[in-house]
Amino acid sequence: MSSRSDFLDFLARSGAVLAKDWRTELRSRYALNSLALFAFSTLVTVSMALGPVGSSPLAQPLLPVILWLILLFAATAGLPRTFVGEEETHTAIALRLAGPPEAVFAGKLGFALSLTFALEILVVPLFLAMTDLSPKDPGLFVATLAACGFGLAAGSTLVAAMVAQARGKGTLFAVLLLPMLVPLLVMAVALTRAAVSGEPPVVEITQVLLYDGMVTIGGFLLFPAVWNP
Amino acid sequence: MKPTTLLALGAIWLSITLAIFLAFLYAPPAKNFIGESSRILFFHVPMAWVSSLAFILAGVASVRYLRTRDVRFDHQARSAVGLGLIFGVLATVTGSLWARVMWNSYWNWDPRQSSIILALTFYLAYFGFRSAVEEVEARRRLAAAYAALGLIVAPFLFYIAPRIAGFTLHPEPILNANLKVEVESRMRQVLLLSSLGFTAFFVWLHILNCRLLTLLEARDAKSLS
Repeated sequence: MSSRSDFLDFLARSGAVLAKDWRTELRSRYALNSLALFAFSTLVTVSMALGPVGSSPLAQPLLPVILWLILLFAATAGLPRTFVGEEETHTAIALRLAGPPEAVFAGKLGFALSLTFALEILVVPLFLAMTDLSPKDPGLFVATLAACGFGLAAGSTLVAAMVAQARGKGTLFAVLLLPMLVPLLVMAVALTRAAVSGEPPVVEITQVLLYDGMVTIGGFLLFPAVWNP
Repeated sequence: MKPTTLLALGAIWLSITLAIFLAFLYAPPAKNFIGESSRILFFHVPMAWVSSLAFILAGVASVRYLRTRDVRFDHQARSAVGLGLIFGVLATVTGSLWARVMWNSYWNWDPRQSSIILALTFYLAYFGFRSAVEEVEARRRLAAAYAALGLIVAPFLFYIAPRIAGFTLHPEPILNANLKVEVESRMRQVLLLSSLGFTAFFVWLHILNCRLLTLLEARDAKSLS
């Protein structure tokens, strides 16, 4: 009974963090705007640079790489806000008092996750339309976007919490995050390529889920040390 | 210097010197390799092994720091990351020299070459991160969390990502998926001796480095007070 009420309390607290973040975000729209504008301008730049080559069969194997690079760099532009904003506005102290670190991490992860999925909903249809790319296995394509988006959000949340307490946060975020996300990027590209071509993937989606699980569990274990001085 | 330390240093010197001689005079060149190029294996593999060992040690020391907040573990992690980077660079350079002979190019963007460069970037960022945090306690705590994260990411970086990429010119790792050392008997003996020698050399450097970090910290604390 006690463990059930503890779990409900945990859910309520993490839900409160998530709701607070969305309320703040909808007031300023900082992260949403930077994510969307960064992704859109990169998309247009890439499409213009590729020109007609982008729609030719020659470019087909390269398009998944470009798609995931756009998503990755857009995420690095907007996701650090989840924690950097708290430190800049000096609300981190209040948040530390408001709940256990695990609940804060779960709430922040939920926020990063919803932002990443919003980014994917905005960018992916545009990308598919601009490059004439049509996945032959839409189920695998959506599953890849969901699983890899989760990994992107989980990794970004923990690294954002780390860099929020350092100087040069923006640059540092990308420097720390990119080597960590490369395995995910390689798996995401391989799966997207398989979903587009309809051929069997060289990597199982379970491997992405394993990465997601390990990074999330690692995040929950390490976050109390990162968050509490 | 204590007699046991002298003895240990003598053993390290002897094993590395002997490994160098045996690598050229005792071990045969491997089949399907151009000329004598396979002899670099006796230096490349130990460097890569010691580098991996150092990064694992850094991760474990970081976890112990987070649990105990004992500064010695922070020194151990810092020292291990620094030495791991040096041995990692040496592994990359020896690998590139071999690649020049075998593949006619120092750098081929082979998945294994790329993965070691990414691992080195990850641990180089460790020092960049440390210098970006001003407060000492926060610096130690955050750097420890980052190095501990390395324990989670490293298996994906070293084992899964290169396999997914599919194409690789790199020979099958010495310690393969079946956990067997698949090399000729005399080569295996020299490889083991070389690996032991360089591992012991790393341990000695690590101990010295940890002592140096402790002394530097004591000096800084004294000058501040």
